[in-house]
Amino acid sequence: MFIDPQRCIGCRSCVAACRECSTHKGYSMIFVDHIDRAETTATMPTLCMHCTEPTCALVCPADAIKMNEDGVVMSALKPRCLDCRNCVNACPFGVPKYNTAMHLQMKCDMCYDRTSEGLKPMCASVCPTGAISFGKYEQIVPLRRTKPVNAHVFGNQHVETKVYLMLPTDADEVRVDGCGVFEGKVLVDAQATATEESWIDTQVEESDKSNEF
Amino acid sequence: MAIAAQKYHPVKVSYAHPTLIGIVASAVLTALVIVGSRNLEHFDSALFGYTIASVVAFGAIAFRYAIWLQRPATRTYFRRGLQLFFQRKKFAANAGNAATTAATNLVAQRFIFKRGTMRWLMHFLIMWGCIIAAAITFPLVFGWVHFELEGDLGYRAYLFGFPLSVMQGRDVFAWIVFHGLDFSAVMVIAGCAIAIHRRLKDRGAIALQSFLLDFTPHLLLIAISVSGLMLTASSLWFAGYMYSFVALVHQATVIMTLFFLPFGKLFHIVQRPASIGVELYQKRSQEMPQAVCPRCRTEFAGQMWIDDLKKVVGDLGFDYRMENGNTLQDYCPRCKRIVRGLSYANLPQAQEKVFVGGRADEK
Repeated sequence: MFIDPQRCIGCRSCVAACRECSTHKGYSMIFVDHIDRAETTATMPTLCMHCTEPTCALVCPADAIKMNEDGVVMSALKPRCLDCRNCVNACPFGVPKYNTAMHLQMKCDMCYDRTSEGLKPMCASVCPTGAISFGKYEQIVPLRRTKPVNAHVFGNQHVETKVYLMLPTDADEVRVDGCGVFEGKVLVDAQATATEESWIDTQVEESDKSNEF
Repeated sequence: MAIAAQKYHPVKVSYAHPTLIGIVASAVLTALVIVGSRNLEHFDSALFGYTIASVVAFGAIAFRYAIWLQRPATRTYFRRGLQLFFQRKKFAANAGNAATTAATNLVAQRFIFKRGTMRWLMHFLIMWGCIIAAAITFPLVFGWVHFELEGDLGYRAYLFGFPLSVMQGRDVFAWIVFHGLDFSAVMVIAGCAIAIHRRLKDRGAIALQSFLLDFTPHLLLIAISVSGLMLTASSLWFAGYMYSFVALVHQATVIMTLFFLPFGKLFHIVQRPASIGVELYQKRSQEMPQAVCPRCRTEFAGQMWIDDLKKVVGDLGFDYRMENGNTLQDYCPRCKRIVRGLSYANLPQAQEKVFVGGRADEK
């Protein structure tokens, strides 16, 4: 899986298509967030990055989140999930969703019903710009000028993932710290959304505000 | 700026303590069997195989439970849950909450109903079928309950050797009691049939299931139930034809299922009651000061919960501490996604930014 946020136009086709996945029927597991709505139309598509050492699975008290032999981190096992939401708050990417009434966590499982049969995941099959692509490394990478990277650094923590992010630069990893993203004017961003972005809040972004499905 | 990238290192599991717990659990059950059957006076030696399997399985479940409690997150919830439950001022309220949660989650299973009506029906039939069967068979196997003839048709039940009321052998109540295992078998077969039908038809289930974890428990339960019904049929209608062979098959399937309990899907039977503790933890956490996301200033979880989570994450060998002194888990999930987007946007593309106009430019 390859994600290129530069190509994302915020159409949310992936969000709609994700609901068609048979393993979490009717519920979308993808987020498309505006990164700074007052300044840019740029959007960030976020789906599970399928960490090689998944924090969500390790903080699960019920041992409900399993990684399969293909390295895909699955949704919580239904008989085990206790709806504690540790995974929701521990995931460095903000990915897992929960439903309290169902006592259940669900997340992107790379459309395992499709990918296990050689089909593309729903999101990759509908993305009009190739922001989300699915294929073999040797097939996708030669077609792009961007660099595939599957490592993030969150503070002191190095996180390797099965999913690649396409970088417009020669970096070997994405550092989510030390570039002013936590501080500065962005601090007031979400506070101001109620007035500045009321139309988009009510129409598009409601599902992205909460991780409850 | 060079950051020492820290790799996750798994927590070591100790087997010594769980092994001891397992042995003690088996020993306690053995002692209860001896005491409860009045020094084996009421113990039916024909059921010796079942007893041995039960004792071993009980020890294995205790062993597995102790291993499970070693997970940093489980240990934290377990300790904090007990600590919150036994708070002197809140004890009555906690006991009330736990009773309500047990009624809605474990008895009525409302959360499974929300997941799907047929799923609820399937689980209801299997669970109550198994509970009824267990409630009848285990006390009989362990010699805790036995019957003695009183008069011509009266049966007096004895619990741990103490006499209970007399039951008339020919009335409706007795018929229901004596056929309790047959009713439970029908419930289990119906529930397992629904489960297997779903697993054969549902595309999502087909993609995720495995034979050992998802089909084996159902097949074992069906085998127990069918062989149990065959015992009734053999004695009622076929004059005991092949009774001993069917009894042996029944015993073999029961023992296999008992040994399967600590593994896979069936372990949720002993694991699920932990949801009472988790719900209590979350309820108390909501009443305490809330964690405020440092970026968007929204309250998103209880501070106690986030503090516990950060400790668990640290115990697991992760280090998500940021330059600004916060930990990544201090931020709400949405802000985590946005800061990653902003970090990506701030990557240089040749000489220019990827997204022109990002606010971080102005810093």
